[in-house]
Amino acid sequence: MSLQKTSLHEAHLSLNAKMAPFAGFDMPLQYSSVKEEVIAVRENAGVFDVSHMGEFFVTGPEAIKFVDFLITNDFQNAELKKAVYSPLCREDGTVIDDLIAYKLSTEKVLICVNASNIKKDWDWINSKLGKFNCTLTNMSDDYSLLALQGPRSEALLKELKFNLPVDFPYYSIAELPHSGESIIVARTGYTGEDGFEIFSGHGFAKKLWSDLLSKDVKPCGLASRDVLRVEVCYPLYGHEINDNVTPLDSGLAWTVKLSKENFIGKTVLNENKPKYQLVKLSLERGIPREGYDVLNENGDKIGSVTSGTMSVVTGKGVALALVEKDKAPKDKKYFINIRNTKYEALYHAKAFVNGGHK
Amino acid sequence: MAHNIPADLKYTKDHEWAKIEGDVAIIGITDFAQSALGDIVFVELPEVGKTLSHHQTFGVVESIKSVSDLYSPLSGTVLESNNDLVNAPELCNVEPYGNAWMIKVKLNNQSELNSLLSASDYQNFLSSL
Repeated sequence: MSLQKTSLHEAHLSLNAKMAPFAGFDMPLQYSSVKEEVIAVRENAGVFDVSHMGEFFVTGPEAIKFVDFLITNDFQNAELKKAVYSPLCREDGTVIDDLIAYKLSTEKVLICVNASNIKKDWDWINSKLGKFNCTLTNMSDDYSLLALQGPRSEALLKELKFNLPVDFPYYSIAELPHSGESIIVARTGYTGEDGFEIFSGHGFAKKLWSDLLSKDVKPCGLASRDVLRVEVCYPLYGHEINDNVTPLDSGLAWTVKLSKENFIGKTVLNENKPKYQLVKLSLERGIPREGYDVLNENGDKIGSVTSGTMSVVTGKGVALALVEKDKAPKDKKYFINIRNTKYEALYHAKAFVNGGHK
Repeated sequence: MAHNIPADLKYTKDHEWAKIEGDVAIIGITDFAQSALGDIVFVELPEVGKTLSHHQTFGVVESIKSVSDLYSPLSGTVLESNNDLVNAPELCNVEPYGNAWMIKVKLNNQSELNSLLSASDYQNFLSSL
């Protein structure tokens, strides 16, 4: 099967981006240097083409009620124009995907899902629709999605005549008229920095991409996006969360609202004793990579690295790892096996890097 | 993109270079390799005295997002490892043929030199990729 292309594919090639297949799309991994791209987002602004991601709309009188039933986090009580991050779970509590649900109005919800899970999510959500009085639409092919991230993002959008709401905090959303079309701007992202995700038609996205580049915004690829999210310890589907773990296994207990009246997976999650625990580890020397063994002091394997990279900001190797909860050492002495050498890791209670989002 | 390929060095298809000085080879990675890897942030090299056979892994070089093995282009004994490079891996990106040399090896099989590529052979190989 040939790879799908986003509306910005030509633009990526003309910038000599290093391209690679990702979730069935030919996507840019990096343009200049991963290090420079990370620094641009932390200190200035960078733009990512994330058009491969999926967009579903749920519309109708029971749209909010249905989404609240689908996801583990509380959507019902979120204010209008707010975004909610949540796992999407099966009845047995395992994670189908993680997503952001945006409450556009009392009868319209936008759900943004991972590209690799579009079909799986679509089939699942449809199968659960039942008697809910609402309609599902998959708009993934109709929308481009640009993520403008970094402290300069708000000023840039204002320069580009985006009429942002006066009160527009992190994790909110607005539908705006711009250049004769209606676009959706969310103050969300995957970097820990302030920033915006702009859902629009393909033509609008191409114009916005070139406008941003002409204002010295750095084009950034999936490689720097991954480093940025690991630095702030955001989970990634297929790594920290997957079909075999529950949100309680992977540090996402805060997204499971057992006080909600009902949602898919509630019964199991209510009684669930997590098997795993997500830990944040860094190394003074060496770089942990996905799949490396996590060891206790005796050298016994107690878990695995689920994401690992060199942190650009701290200059240290950093890892997210799932360890067996009953084997997690009380004294937090963790080790990582790199090419048969045992490296002592530093345990972090908090993220490696504090993002600048408000 | 044009890559620097000094004429006086020998090369491998794994993108290592070797500078032959009598029965000693100085070994590193090529300009193409460093450019393909991107920002190099970690280098692991063998201890002095280690015996390497032809094409044996002698260390690793890591960029922010990737890990690559280093293969010895020749067999011999490690005379020196570049500790300055271990402490400043980014030198690989800056001067791959200069201060980013990796190891010096005392050769034990001169006939292996025939298996290495000349600068023009390596250039042709890169063009074919």
